[in-house]
Amino acid sequence: MTFIRPDGKEKVTGAGRYTADVNLTGQLHAKLRYAGVSHARIVRIDTSKACAVPGVLAVITHEDVPDVKYGGMVQDRLLFAREKVRWEGDVVAAVAAMTPELAEHAAALVEVEYEPLPPIVDPEDAMGDAAGLVHEDWDADGADEALVRDGNTLGYSTIVKGDADAAIASADVVVKSRYVADASQGVPIEPRAILAQWQGDRVTVWTSTQVPFEARKGVARTLQIPESNVRVIVPLLGGGFGAKCDFHFEAHVAALARAAGRPVKLVLTRREEFIAPDHRREGMVIELETGVRHDGTLVARRGRLVLDKGAYCGEGGFLGQMAAMHACGPYEIENVKVESWLNYTTKQPSGSIRAPTAPQVCWALEQHMDEVAAAVGLDPAELRRRTLVEPGSEGPAGQVLEEIGIKETLERALELIGYGEELPEDEAIGVACGWWPSFGNPSGAYVKLNADGSGTIITGAQENGTGAVMALPVLVSEVLGMKPDDFSLLYQDTDAGPWDAGSCGSQTTFNNGRAVVQAAAEARERLLELAAEELEVEQSDLELVEGEVRVVGAPSRSVTIKELAGSGSPIIGKGAAEAIDAPPVQAEGCVGRLGNESFLAPQVFTHAARVKLDRETGVVRVLQVAAVHDCGTIVNRVGADGQVFGGVVMGIGTALFEATRFDDDGHQLNPHLLDYKLVTASDAPRIDVDWVERPAAEGGPKGAKGVGEPPCVPTAGAIGNAIAKLVGRPVPALPMTAERVWAAAHEPAAAAA
Amino acid sequence: MSATFVNARSLDEALAALAAGARPVAGGTDLVVAARSGKAPLPDSLLAIHELDELRGIERGEGLRLGALVTHAELADDDVVRTRYTALADACAIVGSVATRENGTIGGNLMNASPAMETGGPLVCFGATVTLRSATATRELPLADLLVGPGRTSAAADELLVAVDVPAPPPGAGSAYVRLEYRRQMEIAVVGATCVAALDGGRVSHARVAITALAPTVVRVSEAETALVGSDGGAEAALAAGEAAARAAAPIDDVRASAAYRRAMAAVITRRAVAAAVARANGVDVPVPASDSTYGRG
Repeated sequence: MTFIRPDGKEKVTGAGRYTADVNLTGQLHAKLRYAGVSHARIVRIDTSKACAVPGVLAVITHEDVPDVKYGGMVQDRLLFAREKVRWEGDVVAAVAAMTPELAEHAAALVEVEYEPLPPIVDPEDAMGDAAGLVHEDWDADGADEALVRDGNTLGYSTIVKGDADAAIASADVVVKSRYVADASQGVPIEPRAILAQWQGDRVTVWTSTQVPFEARKGVARTLQIPESNVRVIVPLLGGGFGAKCDFHFEAHVAALARAAGRPVKLVLTRREEFIAPDHRREGMVIELETGVRHDGTLVARRGRLVLDKGAYCGEGGFLGQMAAMHACGPYEIENVKVESWLNYTTKQPSGSIRAPTAPQVCWALEQHMDEVAAAVGLDPAELRRRTLVEPGSEGPAGQVLEEIGIKETLERALELIGYGEELPEDEAIGVACGWWPSFGNPSGAYVKLNADGSGTIITGAQENGTGAVMALPVLVSEVLGMKPDDFSLLYQDTDAGPWDAGSCGSQTTFNNGRAVVQAAAEARERLLELAAEELEVEQSDLELVEGEVRVVGAPSRSVTIKELAGSGSPIIGKGAAEAIDAPPVQAEGCVGRLGNESFLAPQVFTHAARVKLDRETGVVRVLQVAAVHDCGTIVNRVGADGQVFGGVVMGIGTALFEATRFDDDGHQLNPHLLDYKLVTASDAPRIDVDWVERPAAEGGPKGAKGVGEPPCVPTAGAIGNAIAKLVGRPVPALPMTAERVWAAAHEPAAAAA
Repeated sequence: MSATFVNARSLDEALAALAAGARPVAGGTDLVVAARSGKAPLPDSLLAIHELDELRGIERGEGLRLGALVTHAELADDDVVRTRYTALADACAIVGSVATRENGTIGGNLMNASPAMETGGPLVCFGATVTLRSATATRELPLADLLVGPGRTSAAADELLVAVDVPAPPPGAGSAYVRLEYRRQMEIAVVGATCVAALDGGRVSHARVAITALAPTVVRVSEAETALVGSDGGAEAALAAGEAAARAAAPIDDVRASAAYRRAMAAVITRRAVAAAVARANGVDVPVPASDSTYGRG
C-alpha cells in the first residue's frame, strides 16, 4: 500500500497554518524571564519596574499561581522558580504586553537578586559527597514508586541476569571500553508557540505539543482547575522529535491570559528553543565490559552508565533503565549486570528525544562489539551473526523473544551496502544493529460515516510529522471497503478525540491503529445490519467492496455506503484499544523496575554505512547508508520509508555534528543553528531502505509495530565502526566531530584521555 | 525607544543620514542575524542603502571596481571573477547559504569585519583598496588597513564603504580560497586560507598568502610568500607555506574548534590553497569552489 499523506501539500506550499499563525482579537504577547544563571538561591524578585511599562498588562511570578509541584515521574518543579533556580532556563517570571518588543523589554526589567550556588555540571561528580544537592528536599517530592532515589541520583536501575562477575572471570577474553556522549537537541524547525484564551472558567490552549492530553493534565494540575475545563488544540505541528513531548509552557501562558484578561500568545525564539525547554537528549558516560569465548559466545556483559538528567525529571525518569537495556542490545548474552545512574545536574533537563538513550548507547555498544570481534579475531558481521537474538532467544532480563527478524536485517543490509567489496583506502564500511520496544498504550477512536458517502475519523492521536495519523485512513478504508481519500480526520483537539498518549514512543500506528480498526469494524457491523435489511439477505452473505455492500457472488445486488449513510440511521463506530503490557520476566535481580526490563514487540534493525575520511582534517563524509528494519507489517510503505530517510539523516547528525556544549557553569555555548550543526540536504548520502516484515505476535494492526524512532538509532554506531576501521581505533566521544576524529587519528594519547 | 528608519534614495541622502548617526543596512545578513541571536541589538536609527543604484554593479577595466552592494552570488557567478580572481569566486560561492549569498553584499561582508569573513582573504591577497565616503570627504585605503580587529574597522562612523577596487592580477597568476568544512553547506570559516601565485617559466614569481579565522583579522603570511617565491610551487613549497601559516596563526579555543586543531589545520588548509592556486596558474581546471575538490568529495 502506498498512500500519499493529505497534509503534505499544504505544508510544502506554505499554506499550512501552525500555532504561531493563529491570532485572536485583542491578543497580548508573552515573554518569559529566565534565570540566566545555572544554580542560585533567589533572594528577591521585584516586578515593579516591569509592571510600570506602559502597554504591559500582566507580570506574574510564583506568587500568582498555585503552590503545586509537577513532573511526570518526579514532582520536582514549580511553574515559576521560588527558592532556587536550577538551570539557566528556569522560569522566574512572565510578562504579557501589547507587543512582543514591549514584553521583551519588560521581562528584562524584572529584578531578580541571586545568591550564587556552586554549579553541578558533571553528572559523575554529582554523585560525590562534595557536590551539593540540586534538590535539597528531594525526599519530599512525589515520585513514581519504582524509582530508586538517592541524593542527586533520581533513578538508579540495573538489568541483571545470572552472575556476570563470575562469568567475566571465566571468560576467554575480556574487552573493556569507555565512551562519552555529549548532550544534543531535538531541534524541531517550528519553534514552540502557545496561545491561550479564557472563556469564563474554561481555557482553550492552542499549542505546538506532541502530547495534547499530557499538556491538558499539566495545565489542570498546576493551575488547580478540572481537566475538563482545559481544551488543548494543536494546529499543524512543525516537527517535534520528542522535544515537544511532556507539558511545557502551556500553563505559564494560560496563567498570563487569566491575569491579563486577554488572550496571550508566546512564540519562542530559536535561542529560547535551545535554552528553555526541559527536553534535550541526555549526555552520558557509557562503560562496557564484555567477557567472550574464542568462538564469539558472549558469556557476560557488565556496564556502568551515568546519565545527565539536568535540573528536573519531567517524564524522563525511565531513561536510566532504558539505557541499561540498550547497553545489552539485541544479543544473546549469558550473564548480565548493567547499572545506571540518572543524575540531576544544574543544566537544561533532558527528556525523550526520538528513541531516548538508544542512539548514544547503541553507538557505544556497537563500537564495543567491533572491539570484541577484533579481540577474538572475528569479522564484525560474523560476530553479530553468531550472537544476535532470534525467535526463542532470551532477552537481557530473561524475556523470551518471539517473532524477531534481526538476523535477516543484518544480511540484507550487508548485501545492500556491498559488504566485503574492495574499497578505496580512504573509505570503509561499518555495521550496527539495535532494537527499540513498542509501547502498548491504551487508545481510542471513533469512525462515523457521512451522508455524502465520506467518512470521518475522530481520534485523540497527534500527528508530529511522521505521517502516522495521516495513514489511519488506510487502515479504516480497508475494513470498510472504501478508499483512504474518502476519510477526513478530526484530531489534535482534546475535546473531540478520546484520550491518547500522543505522538511519542512510536506508538500511534501500534495503538491508535488498533483503535481505528476496532471503530471501523463496529461501523462495518452497522452497515451490514442496514444492508441486510435493505437487500433482504443474511449479513453473512454480504461483503464491502468499492464503496458498496454487495451480496457475495451477486454483485449487482448491492447498496452503496452513501445510500446507507444517508438513510437517516447514524453509522458510528467506536474503538477502545486496551493497554498491552510488556512481556513478563523473572527479573528479581533488577533494581528500579519501570517496565522496560522486557521489550514488547521489539523493532529491530541494522544499518551499514560507507564513509570517506579526510585523514588530514578528520572530516568524515557519509557516502551511503543501507538501512534495514523489522517493524512488523508495514502499513504504508512510502510513509515508513520516509521515516527511515529522515532517521538516517538525523543519525548522521548525531554521529558527526550535533552537540550542545556547556561551559563550566552549565550555560549552553552554542544555542543557535550556526554552531549547533544540523545535517543539511547537501550532506545527505544515498540511502537504501528495505524491510523485513515479521508480523508482531501481539501488536498493532496486522502485526504492525512502530517505526518512528528506530531509524535514528544505529546510524551513529555504523558510522563509528567505519571511522574506527579507517583511524585504527574507535573515536570515544560523540559526536565524532572532525577534530575528535583527527585527534584519534593523530594523537592517540590525547584522544584516550 | 524611538527608532528611525531611512530608506535612502540617493547617496547624498544616505551620507547625510550617516552623519546624523544612522547605521547602514544592505543585505542584513549580519545585522539581522546578530540582533535575532541577541548578540547586538538593532541600531535605533537604521539607514537602508539597498536601493542605491550608484553602489551596484561590477565595472571591468584593467582591474575590477565592485560596488558595495554587489552580492556574493553575483561575484560567484561572474565570468571575469571566476577566471581572473578565482579565489574570490571560491570564497563567495561558499558564504553561508543560498539566501545569504543572494542577500549579503561585499560592502557588508567587509565592514562587518568578522575574522571569519570569506571575501577578506582573497581581496587582501589581490591587493584590493576600498573607497570610503562621508558627507564631507572621500578617501581610499588598502583593505588590509581597513580591517583592524574583530568587528572593528578604521572607518569613521559617518563613512560608508562605496566601492572596492581590485587591481589586475599579475600575468600567469592562479588563485584559490580553501576553507575547512565540517558539513557541505551553511558553514562558517573555522580555518580558511587564500593563495595567489603567479608562475613565470616554471618558477613562482609572485605569491600572496593569507589566513582566515586564525587571527583577529584576516592576515597575510609573509613567511609563506617568501617560501613560495622562486620555488617551483610544488609539494615541498606548499608544505613550507602551510607550516609558515601555522606559525603565523594566533588561533583561539572556542566551541568551533580548539586552538591546537586550528593551528594544525592552518598548515593543511594553506597547503591545499597553495596547491590549488598553483594548479590553476598551470592551467589545471580546479572547479569553483576549490574547497570541494581539495577534499576529495565523494
